[in-house]
Amino acid sequence: MLQILLIAARNLVQHARRTLLLGFVIAAVTAFLVLLVGLFDGIEKSTIESATTLMSGHLNVGGFFKASAGQSAPVLTHAHKLLEDVRKDVPEIDYVTERVRGWAKLVTETGSLQAGVAGIDIQNEPGLKRILKIDQGSFDGLNEPHTVLMFQNQAEKLGVKLGDVVTISAQTTRGVNNTADVRVVAIANDVGILSAFNTFVPAQTLRELYQEQDDTTGALLVYLKNIDDAGPVSERLRKTLAAQGYTLMDPDPRAFFFKFDSVNREAWTGQKLDITSWKDELSFILWLSTAMHALGYLLVSVLIVVIAVGLMNTLWVAIRERTREIGTLRSIGMQRPRVMAMFVTEAFLLSFGATVGGALFGLLVALFINGRHVRIPFSMQAITMSDHLTLLPSATSVSTSVAIIVACTTAVSLIPSFLAARLKPVSAMSQVD
Amino acid sequence: MTSRILVFAVAVLLLAPVSARAALDAAQLKDIVHIIDERQRAGGDYRSLVYIEQKEKDKPDIASEATVYRRSADAKFMILFTKPKDQQGKGYLRLDKNLWFFDPSVGKWERRTERERINGTDSRRNDFDESRLGEEYDAKGEGEGQLGKFKVNLITLTVKSGVDVAYPVVKLWVNEDKNILKRQEFALSGRLMRTLYYPKWNKQFSESKKAEVWSPGEIRIYDEVEKANSTIVVVKTVDLHSLEANIFTKSWLEAKSR
Repeated sequence: MLQILLIAARNLVQHARRTLLLGFVIAAVTAFLVLLVGLFDGIEKSTIESATTLMSGHLNVGGFFKASAGQSAPVLTHAHKLLEDVRKDVPEIDYVTERVRGWAKLVTETGSLQAGVAGIDIQNEPGLKRILKIDQGSFDGLNEPHTVLMFQNQAEKLGVKLGDVVTISAQTTRGVNNTADVRVVAIANDVGILSAFNTFVPAQTLRELYQEQDDTTGALLVYLKNIDDAGPVSERLRKTLAAQGYTLMDPDPRAFFFKFDSVNREAWTGQKLDITSWKDELSFILWLSTAMHALGYLLVSVLIVVIAVGLMNTLWVAIRERTREIGTLRSIGMQRPRVMAMFVTEAFLLSFGATVGGALFGLLVALFINGRHVRIPFSMQAITMSDHLTLLPSATSVSTSVAIIVACTTAVSLIPSFLAARLKPVSAMSQVD
Repeated sequence: MTSRILVFAVAVLLLAPVSARAALDAAQLKDIVHIIDERQRAGGDYRSLVYIEQKEKDKPDIASEATVYRRSADAKFMILFTKPKDQQGKGYLRLDKNLWFFDPSVGKWERRTERERINGTDSRRNDFDESRLGEEYDAKGEGEGQLGKFKVNLITLTVKSGVDVAYPVVKLWVNEDKNILKRQEFALSGRLMRTLYYPKWNKQFSESKKAEVWSPGEIRIYDEVEKANSTIVVVKTVDLHSLEANIFTKSWLEAKSR
């Protein structure tokens, strides 16, 4: 085996130009794959991190309250008792936050925008403090009533700076117009497209705007110690709460704001709970990530086919050039399987060396890009879900990329290697260049 | 003791006309609000052709044409947009206490709040509907005043308990003919939300009501929160003849949308 390895390695060195050219192509595709996978992983991580902080917990106990059949509001009544019941049934909880949910118009003298307004208790939002980076002001400002935290793009659109007053205009659950004047106390760096339609005010301010009681909220955002538990925990919680007499909506894997139409069409009145996982609430974003992954893999598959054809062609040329060599090896007693193994090993060595080199180069490029903190234009943030380009090629994804390319290139070398091994020594020896 | 009784009697005599005038004012106010409602009530069917022009900051003006249908007997209401082409077939229909919106491009009915903006403009359903101020609000007189060259009565309306309206406080400037010339609507917080001007009123004889029906010929609506936004509603024609019996149905509006 060592002999075959040695022969294969020497052959690669002997045909240095061809080896370098093919190796470069394989390395380039590997580097591209590593960067692509890193980009997708980075986007997915940013999306999950920012979205599960801004608008969803790992698990959400939300719901709708209908004062009349045709008018629903994302309101949970008797929220404190519900929170107690949830805590009792979910020991996997890391922490829980209450979010009052609203959709309102933010208006200033120079501009206006529609945005989701979340009513929060900033003392109870460790995730928000960890994920959001404050550009101006501080989170502490939200301890005072009638204050607002918004994002840079919103502040620009509204033409406001720290300390300016913004009017929030909305209709109460009974359809009465109301307004609240709030002071900008914090402007956070954008976190992708999600920051275009999320703002945060103290919960009490939003309750006043919507004329809701203190014991109401919009949803309980439950953060688990392990996000992967969200599915089984939500199923268990659904059963437990139903058994305790709560009325639950049928499972619907969509964000709550997509459910208004269907809820309004239903004839019931009163309170119904809606338990969703982060995947349900973010389904409208995650499809984009899935589509990008699919597109990326399609692109890489095409590139691998191109490499495979190139490698096969190169091996054909090598076999033609080395027909006499094969004849000599066969005539001095080398068996067909070993001839085949020699060519396969050559392809393996070439692809392994090139993919490892390409992967390392890809990792270096990823590190360089991350270090540069490349800012993404706002229009592109819909795709990247972050204001900075972050590439996160994980060890698993890099090794998988290397393995796939090595396996593919080695596999395609089997056919020419097999045909080389089938050459008869006499006819191979008789070939004259 | 006698002098005390005398002082009390004089005081009663002096204050009596004042309280009588106050009582009269309250009654008059109620009358004015009742007259405003009654004069606009068609007492039968109503159809009008309206032009709506919406102005918004940094956006091109949008003009549309619609037909408004009303039936007093059961408080039915419908708006069908007829122009421009991209708005054609859109419609609002009130059934019981629900306002439904139909968009022919998706072919679906959506239940909307009764108090939402009509077709994204600053107008609301009640701008096109019969006046129900007396049913919805309690009136309080704010005295007489001047609006431009017109002598007006200032009335503040506060929503009655248990009634849902878009604006809980409304101020009216009513001229001597009992027509509203100006209306200001306030949010729960007390913030002024909309100012409406009614520069033109038309009247027409209604066979079903056996009396004249008044309707605004033009309404100018100014958004007081987003100051640059405004809407003009021009009522071109009003027809008080009976409408088809089955007109206020989803299927009728859908058929018109095709």
